[in-house]
Amino acid sequence: MSEFLFELNMLDSLLLLSAVTVAIAILCRVEYISGGVVTLLYLAQLVVVGMMISAGGVFSSHLTPQLFGYELGWLLDGLGLYFTLITVGSALLATLYMAGEWGRRYREQGKSFRALQSLLALNVFTMQLLLASSDLLSLFISWELASWAAFALMALSGGKGLKAALHYMIYAFSGAMLVFAVVAWIATTAVTAAYQLDINGAGILQFSSVAELMQQGIFTIPEQLLMLTLLLIGFGIKMGLLPFHLWQAPAYALSIGPAGAFLGAISSRLGLFAIIVVLFKIFGSITDGSILQSSFGFEFASVTPKTLLAWIAVATIIFPTFVAMRQNDARHLLAWHGIGQGGYMLLGLVMMDSLGSAGGLLHVFNHATYQAALFLAVTSVIYRTGTADLNRLGGLVVRMPLSFMTLLIGIIGLAGLPPMNGFVSKWLVYRSLLDQGELLLFVGAVIGTLGTILSVYKLIHNMFLGSLRKEHEEVREVSWSMLTPMLILSALILLTGLFPGIPLQWVAQGLSAVGLPVAEFNLGGVMADGGSLDMVIVSMVLFSGFGVAALIFYFVGGKSKRVNPLDNYAGGHFLYASNRYHYSNNFYAGLMHLIKPWYKNTFQRLERVVVTLLELTAESLSRLYMRPHSNQLALIIVVLLLW
Amino acid sequence: MKEIKVENRREGNILSRVFDELNEFCRARSLFILHYCTGCGAIELPPVMTSRFDMERLGVQPMVTPRQADILLITGYVSIKTLKRVMLTYEQMGSPKYVIGICSCTVNGGMYWQSYATAKKLDEYMPVDLYIAGCMPRPEAIISGLRSLIRNIELGESNNWKKYYENYDYYLGNQQKLFGDEWQTPVDVIGEAEHYGLVGEGTYGEHTEILQRVQQPLKPLEMRL
Repeated sequence: MSEFLFELNMLDSLLLLSAVTVAIAILCRVEYISGGVVTLLYLAQLVVVGMMISAGGVFSSHLTPQLFGYELGWLLDGLGLYFTLITVGSALLATLYMAGEWGRRYREQGKSFRALQSLLALNVFTMQLLLASSDLLSLFISWELASWAAFALMALSGGKGLKAALHYMIYAFSGAMLVFAVVAWIATTAVTAAYQLDINGAGILQFSSVAELMQQGIFTIPEQLLMLTLLLIGFGIKMGLLPFHLWQAPAYALSIGPAGAFLGAISSRLGLFAIIVVLFKIFGSITDGSILQSSFGFEFASVTPKTLLAWIAVATIIFPTFVAMRQNDARHLLAWHGIGQGGYMLLGLVMMDSLGSAGGLLHVFNHATYQAALFLAVTSVIYRTGTADLNRLGGLVVRMPLSFMTLLIGIIGLAGLPPMNGFVSKWLVYRSLLDQGELLLFVGAVIGTLGTILSVYKLIHNMFLGSLRKEHEEVREVSWSMLTPMLILSALILLTGLFPGIPLQWVAQGLSAVGLPVAEFNLGGVMADGGSLDMVIVSMVLFSGFGVAALIFYFVGGKSKRVNPLDNYAGGHFLYASNRYHYSNNFYAGLMHLIKPWYKNTFQRLERVVVTLLELTAESLSRLYMRPHSNQLALIIVVLLLW
Repeated sequence: MKEIKVENRREGNILSRVFDELNEFCRARSLFILHYCTGCGAIELPPVMTSRFDMERLGVQPMVTPRQADILLITGYVSIKTLKRVMLTYEQMGSPKYVIGICSCTVNGGMYWQSYATAKKLDEYMPVDLYIAGCMPRPEAIISGLRSLIRNIELGESNNWKKYYENYDYYLGNQQKLFGDEWQTPVDVIGEAEHYGLVGEGTYGEHTEILQRVQQPLKPLEMRL
């Protein structure tokens, strides 16, 4: 046994550990122990991932089954490691959150904690398989597994959540079919090509071999463009790229609290991972448009896949962000932002220079930290008050100060303001846009940030500021088992904001794995021509400004005085607890008055059109085979076909 | 004959004197007005604020909340119902605060002298720093009134806000006479007087005893973990 273990390399042991986690989560019937055990197992996985990152390089698994004559393989490089780190980290914190009091209440409500625990573990396992896949077939298989696991986790909440999960499944399934079509296309053509190119036929679907096929011109440029489009749609659906984003917000928002935090933090980033693989590992030469110009006679360079993707990314930033601003449920608001922030990641990556791609990839980590913190804080509020409705909360800062702190740090990160980590990645993306002279894209990204700032203020104001409702007088802060992951995440947001060099070294490993340029960085920031970023100095300036104000406010003169929220000015009126003075309904009425005509639900209508068309087709086809003499019709068709 | 103003300098440590004077110099040049426009005098304020007379050149600006305002401007007759609101607003303002009464109505009731529903003299209820008489005073008069308030502040002579704390019993008594013994605002004036060391001989008395008996204090919400 020990010899066998010795044979395992680190990737094997990671996958084995992950599988053991799933098994224990399923088998362990004593639910109050399983929470702790599974948390420890995630911790062990995190340690393995950390060892792999510090060792560096590429890890290939011994797991190499054959399927239809193709060799499947698993191989984890810097990019996969980066995503694996985020996956395991967010799973660890989500499990820690539900291991204590939260899980106890969940069990007392008569729900199956075991199902939640094991589905989360299954998600992590399938996502690790996906992130370590080294060829198109293993990518597709683990993609499907991960999709089904995510569906099961979403569907667990039942009711509306089940409906949203089914909505997701329809999208995910159509996306997967597109991916499968491309894989099948490549597989059938590649076998003959393998002999010509002298490549091992069994390993023909490996990313490097497929890239070789593309470069050798086995497929014509229009064919390659079609493949690229199909793959981008297939993977873009998971990422929530416009116009395939409609499923995501309800599905994540309605998942069970900590599961929603996990899904919102990393699940849809798998789409980004696959897009990076497709864009840079397989179709690298098409993406920047250099081949297009040489193969088509005319000037093609103005509309390259790169510019097109950048504009889709900007649209993905703007529209969902402004939809988020109108949400009246905290979880829906955050989930819509999850879609919008994905746009920044793609925008940075398709810029393909050292700053932009570092910013885009760094944003994945940053987004995971603050999105998980925000979702957990909102879950805590739901745990205590029973609602996330932004019109039914308010003033909770005096009752849940630590949750407030977590939410505050999280929204500063989400809005991309210093000194939190979201600022660093957005700064890098902006710098890259300005360097490349993409002013319109830059303006689009800034409009998105403006919407983000406005809507996160709405979030924190309606939940925590303003006057406390009578029914929330006796609310308490959540227990330490729930606070610990929230505080860890807050510390991470602040720490990686102060010292972005820590995540940037993982990002650099990821970027060099796909052959993108790597920016020069140090612990405090990024060095670039014409202005570098040093977060230590930025934070010092910021804190000295706030610090002076805080010193004056708290220590000089001692003249500040706390008052009751009802001791407030309302044009001289006396305020009473029965008559609330908390402006939350119809927030941003003035702004909404201006921009309301822009909300047209275009995408919902588009979706409805597609659904109606499908129904119409199905209906008319069913007329054919439901008619009384359908067997005669079938005979005629068969005869015609044979003839 | 023109009267010559004699500045009476304060005694004490030269350093603290310099600091006080700097403080008052700055304070006099940045005054935020909270308008409590109760009567017809309000019509004279738009020209004062806008380009023709332009009070902003004196550093005076309108402000929407009492906590941030320095001057409470009351422009006309004050009915008893309104006076309750004016008192609440005045007590919510942070010190140092100044009160300007515009129009005859605030001085002596003006043409509403015989009304049963108006408070006749504003300074029975709160210390007034400056009256600008007239029915109504022209914008020039208001500007000139603002200038004299600024001069008083700069010389350190406009300390009427302290009188409210020092003679709280008197003012509270007059308020109780109008509003009844149950009268109270959420603001703890006696507590503030004690906090800032402004307790005078007239702070406590029979009226504050009544207040303390009926008062339902509105405590700040404590931060709970």
